[in-house]
Amino acid sequence: MDRKNASPQGETARVLTEFLEVAVNCIVFLKGFYPPAAFERRRYMNVVVQKARHPQLADYIHSATSNLLPFVQKGLVERVNVTFYDKEHIPLEKFVFKIDVNQSYNSKVEESDIGFALRAFLIKLTVAKPATKPLPPSSGWEITAYFRALPQGSSKEKEAQLWIPTDTKQWLQPPDITPIKSMSSQPLKVQLYLEHPNPCEPKKLEE
Amino acid sequence: MGSNSSDRPSSSVSSFASAAASGGSLKRSRNRTPQNPLRSTTKRKSPFADFGSYMAEKNRKLGAQFRADAASVSSLGSDGAPVDSEEDKGVFRGVSIFVDGFTIPSSQELRGYMLRHGGRFENYFSRDTVTHIICSNLPNSKMRNLRAFSHGLPVVRPEWVLHSLAANRLLSCLSKLQQDHVIGKQAIACFVEVPSLCKLACSSWVNICEWRAQQMDTLWAPYQLVHGACKQQKLSTYFRHQSISTSSDAKGSINHDEEIKVGQNHSVVPTDGQTSECGGISIQVGDVACLKSEEFSQARDANQEPSASDMVHSTLTDPNFVENYFKVNSRLHFIGTWRNRYRQRFSKLLTGVKSSNENLKCHSTKQKTAIIHIDMDCFFVSVIIRNFPDLVHKPVAVCHSDNPRGTAEISSANYVARNFGVKAGIFVRDAKVCCPNLVILPYDFEAYQEVAEQFYNILHKHCSKVQALSCDEAFLDVTECDVDPEDIALAIRKEIAETTRCTASAGIAENLLLARLATRSAKPNGQRFLPSEKVELHIDALVVEDYLNDLPVMELPGIGYATHEKLKKRQIQTCGQMRMTQKEGLQKDFGEKIGDMLWNYCRGIDNRNVGEVQEAKSIGAEVNWGIRFNDMTDVGFELELYYTSTGYSECKALISVISKCYAWMPLTHLQVKKRKQGAAEPLKFMGCGDCQNMSRSITVPIAIDNEAALLRIAKKFLSSFHIDVKEVRGIGLHLTKLESAKITRKGRENIAVWLSSPMHATRSKCKQISQSDKQCDNGDFLFSSGPPESGDLDSSHKLDQDKPTLLFQDAGSNCSSIKGADCVRPIRSSVLPPLQDLDIDVVRNLPTEIILEMDVLYKGELSDLISKSKGNNCLTHVCSSTVSLIDASTNSADAGISDAHIDSVKLGLDSKDKGKMPICENVESISYVDQVTMEPKLFDLMPASLSQADASVFEQMPEDVKADVHGLLPLHRELKVSKDFYTCFDFPSCVQFPDPHLKTHLWSGDPPWWVEKFNTSKNILLNVISRHAKSSKDIRLSSILQSVAPFLLPVCELSNEVYAEAICWLHELLAQYIVLKIGSDIEEIYNCFCFLKRISPSSKILLLVYNSALPLFQVSAWNFDVLFILTFLMFSCLLGSIKVFSVMFGLSVLIGIWKNGKHVFLL
Repeated sequence: MDRKNASPQGETARVLTEFLEVAVNCIVFLKGFYPPAAFERRRYMNVVVQKARHPQLADYIHSATSNLLPFVQKGLVERVNVTFYDKEHIPLEKFVFKIDVNQSYNSKVEESDIGFALRAFLIKLTVAKPATKPLPPSSGWEITAYFRALPQGSSKEKEAQLWIPTDTKQWLQPPDITPIKSMSSQPLKVQLYLEHPNPCEPKKLEE
Repeated sequence: MGSNSSDRPSSSVSSFASAAASGGSLKRSRNRTPQNPLRSTTKRKSPFADFGSYMAEKNRKLGAQFRADAASVSSLGSDGAPVDSEEDKGVFRGVSIFVDGFTIPSSQELRGYMLRHGGRFENYFSRDTVTHIICSNLPNSKMRNLRAFSHGLPVVRPEWVLHSLAANRLLSCLSKLQQDHVIGKQAIACFVEVPSLCKLACSSWVNICEWRAQQMDTLWAPYQLVHGACKQQKLSTYFRHQSISTSSDAKGSINHDEEIKVGQNHSVVPTDGQTSECGGISIQVGDVACLKSEEFSQARDANQEPSASDMVHSTLTDPNFVENYFKVNSRLHFIGTWRNRYRQRFSKLLTGVKSSNENLKCHSTKQKTAIIHIDMDCFFVSVIIRNFPDLVHKPVAVCHSDNPRGTAEISSANYVARNFGVKAGIFVRDAKVCCPNLVILPYDFEAYQEVAEQFYNILHKHCSKVQALSCDEAFLDVTECDVDPEDIALAIRKEIAETTRCTASAGIAENLLLARLATRSAKPNGQRFLPSEKVELHIDALVVEDYLNDLPVMELPGIGYATHEKLKKRQIQTCGQMRMTQKEGLQKDFGEKIGDMLWNYCRGIDNRNVGEVQEAKSIGAEVNWGIRFNDMTDVGFELELYYTSTGYSECKALISVISKCYAWMPLTHLQVKKRKQGAAEPLKFMGCGDCQNMSRSITVPIAIDNEAALLRIAKKFLSSFHIDVKEVRGIGLHLTKLESAKITRKGRENIAVWLSSPMHATRSKCKQISQSDKQCDNGDFLFSSGPPESGDLDSSHKLDQDKPTLLFQDAGSNCSSIKGADCVRPIRSSVLPPLQDLDIDVVRNLPTEIILEMDVLYKGELSDLISKSKGNNCLTHVCSSTVSLIDASTNSADAGISDAHIDSVKLGLDSKDKGKMPICENVESISYVDQVTMEPKLFDLMPASLSQADASVFEQMPEDVKADVHGLLPLHRELKVSKDFYTCFDFPSCVQFPDPHLKTHLWSGDPPWWVEKFNTSKNILLNVISRHAKSSKDIRLSSILQSVAPFLLPVCELSNEVYAEAICWLHELLAQYIVLKIGSDIEEIYNCFCFLKRISPSSKILLLVYNSALPLFQVSAWNFDVLFILTFLMFSCLLGSIKVFSVMFGLSVLIGIWKNGKHVFLL
């Protein structure tokens, strides 16, 4: 983590990515994707959260989120999805973090202020189970990020290249939305909601 | 003592009359004997319930005994003297005495007198039965508070009884007393009560207080101060001057029809001594009343006192209260306004003085100056008492009221009274404690005016250089006169004494300060010469040095309590001590000016010249008496009166007198007295009581010279205090920093010449810019004072749309010409753009403080406009700030000014900056002008409506430009849209909103625009929603919907048209709400939809709205403006179970395959 990052956006992004890591862990746990034994209880922002114990899983989540940092900071990331697929790789459920970092915000950011707001997400997430849908067997999941522009140019660094375009299949109809939590403050706006396929979504379109 | 149960004399008389007649003197013993055994038997179980009833019984018996004795005395003639029964009986008729303490003759003797001469004697004091208190010695405590002790009854000496007997009539106790009464000794209140037939007849009486007469046989003073003491009518009036009260009941019984004219309570009755003479021993009130009524009308005319005193005098009931307040009652007001009158009267002489001033200065170097300070001795009292020579040596005070409660304040007291410790400003009550004999007299402003004029006539006669300080005080410069100044002073004083019958004191010295100090020591009625060095003539006179040495610093003019306290801390008590201090030290402690002044004064140096008249710098008025409001409108009304009657008229006079040279007043200061929490109704009748002073001042950047503007400001001001108007007890308004209108006018004329060619004559604003410009140049004025006249505003209001642009170009060129003329000259204008040119929408969205500030600039009109415009639709207004800028600049252009005010407001410029405009602002204002020249072309280039614009081009525009373009075409857009609404009936296909630009509009503003729109729409459904939206604080749609839902359900069956319209609007509302909230608060939208969904089964409309709007929500959430979806390289899992889990981690990550231009990573 680049702690020396002094700009408000940098600070915000750092807090946000940290939060995302925890949140993704929680989501994965919430979905029951892995057995509960794969997680351990941790305390983050004074909230009890679950953290993957498996090094690879933990590493994946950590790398994915922490590698978002430069892009979040630049405001390139529009949303971060945690998408669950069925075996056809058709999305069944998406946890959408819609992120808006105000680039023109100049004042100093108190980490505790943002943290306090983000904490509410974690609390809300722990009780969001009823809003989700059970996953069919042999499903999968991934973290995707929606970028406003392709990371390029300056971001020649290694981690930047870890983000690659995906061909994840998209729904053809607008999804149903179930909000979980929103926060709107300066310089950060985050909204977390669930997307489910529209009932009139044609099934097995590809076939 | 149970006064209620004590017997009234009349009833006892009747009940015992027969018994007394028959029983004679034996009655007493007979009465007692049967009671004694009774008493002893019933001692244990007393027949009396309590002490009160016991005393009542005792009193009754004593009364009975007394009457029995009286009856026996009269029948037997026990004193042996021949009884001329009829008359003799009556001497003390109606008098009931109570003897307090040791007297000569003794109380038993007095009782005997009463017995024989028809009076009554009370063993116990009771307010109801006793009419006179007789005593010769009173303890100090009772003397102090005689009123409390006597309950307002007359306290007389026992001699009074004897003298009355000797004179064979009821004497005025005062007249007797005053003969042996020595001032300064023990004083007994001198009240005369005239018990009359009326009292006996109808239990009301005329209580004539302070009835003074020099001698019984000479004329009674025609000028008498009499209290109204009618029990039935609790008077709430405060002035009871010059009036005798005659209760209406009394009048009725006397049966004088003409007397009715005398009025309710108070009337002015000069009573002729002869009248009471002919009335004989028992004064025939009827006769008096006869004469009274004859003279009443004249007297009343002469006095011009409003006698409608049955009115409650407060702002509540009397609409002219404030006016009267100032007109009739205020001494200070008299003094305050006196100067204007003086100027009016002596204006010629004054100008003479001024012209000769220059000469004077030349003289002063050669010749020793001689200044006379002349001051009338207690002017306000002596003018009144000059008509009553007998009062000269008595303590007299002038006061606006002499009500029995004594809660009025003494305004001025004569020297005799001052010796008692009576000072101006203390309550009458307290004054009477210091000085029980104090005579309270009312003002007579006409007399004051007259005397002041005489006074100044004399002064001007003797000396050409007169500086008036006040109505009774002036400086004369007699340097040029060849006569000895002391002789002049003597002559003047003599003449004053002869002409005005009042005395004056004079001080003569070489400068103003010393002259004034000399006067102080010369008072009363003397004069004093204070030579600067020892002259042979005045060997005994103190030289200035010596005089000043011991002079307490407090005596110096210009040293008040604050300065005095400060000096005290530095152990400076006298001028001598002050002289020890360094000038620098004084200046350090008191500021440069005051320090300098102190240093000079304590050395007797005063460099001022006679005749230097200072222009009034401030003006103010305050009412703290009788202020009671019911609500805000009262206040407004009252304020109005207030200005018109006081400050304004004053100023008006001022303006007219001094060749119209005042404009008001950048600084307005409003002071409000608010009743303290829990403070009771004040002691002083209708007074302000215990008040919390709140004051606020405001700087009005533009000089005001009309009443309406001032009024508006003051009202706003008052409302900004946020207090309950019922609690307001006083209001004061002070206007300071008065500016001379002369200068501004001069400036205006200059500029008029300067600019005359390009400008139309009526466009005075164009002149004003250069005027203010010029003023900035001079640096003299913080504010330009070109008052935008209301007419001016109106006329500009009527200007049609074309004119401004024309004007603008004029002005623009003009501005640039000004710039060209002098580049360094800061362009700054204080002239505001006309109010109606402001974009209210923009204004409304400004922060509150800024609005307030602007409001002040507009003298309160702005807030009115805002509140009004809330009702108007904002179709024509655009919220974009850029547009407002254009707007504002065009406005300023049309006014021929740059918009420096708004600008400075926006910049948060503090007052310090206002004085000197920083250069950057100049630049800015110039750039404004440039911008102004640029912008209007934009209008010409714009297409008539957005539909004509190339959509693709439009899309490419940057966001802010888009917003601007939207803003520039509001009308077309709105009209088009609403047309669409009405045409699309075939639902639900009609629910298409081809115009995306409506987006921001329904929800803009606070409250959102749609609230207003819905409210004004004819659609019931929308009205309902709007009403709920208005009432709820929360403008979130979900909460509005929730509150409105129960009302929506019943009204859902409507005509097709209304139906469709409602749906269209609701849909649009939702759609825009989604746009508004999607970025920040999806939850809120979701809540709305959840709610709609829940309620839609019962409401068809809502169902339709829900159905039509839901896709919008989904789409907008889904429709991201995201071009790239990336996933993280390292990992993708397809793991569903613990088994897979373990398997998965055995695998390695595959390398991505480039396929169709996209990386696909699968595990």
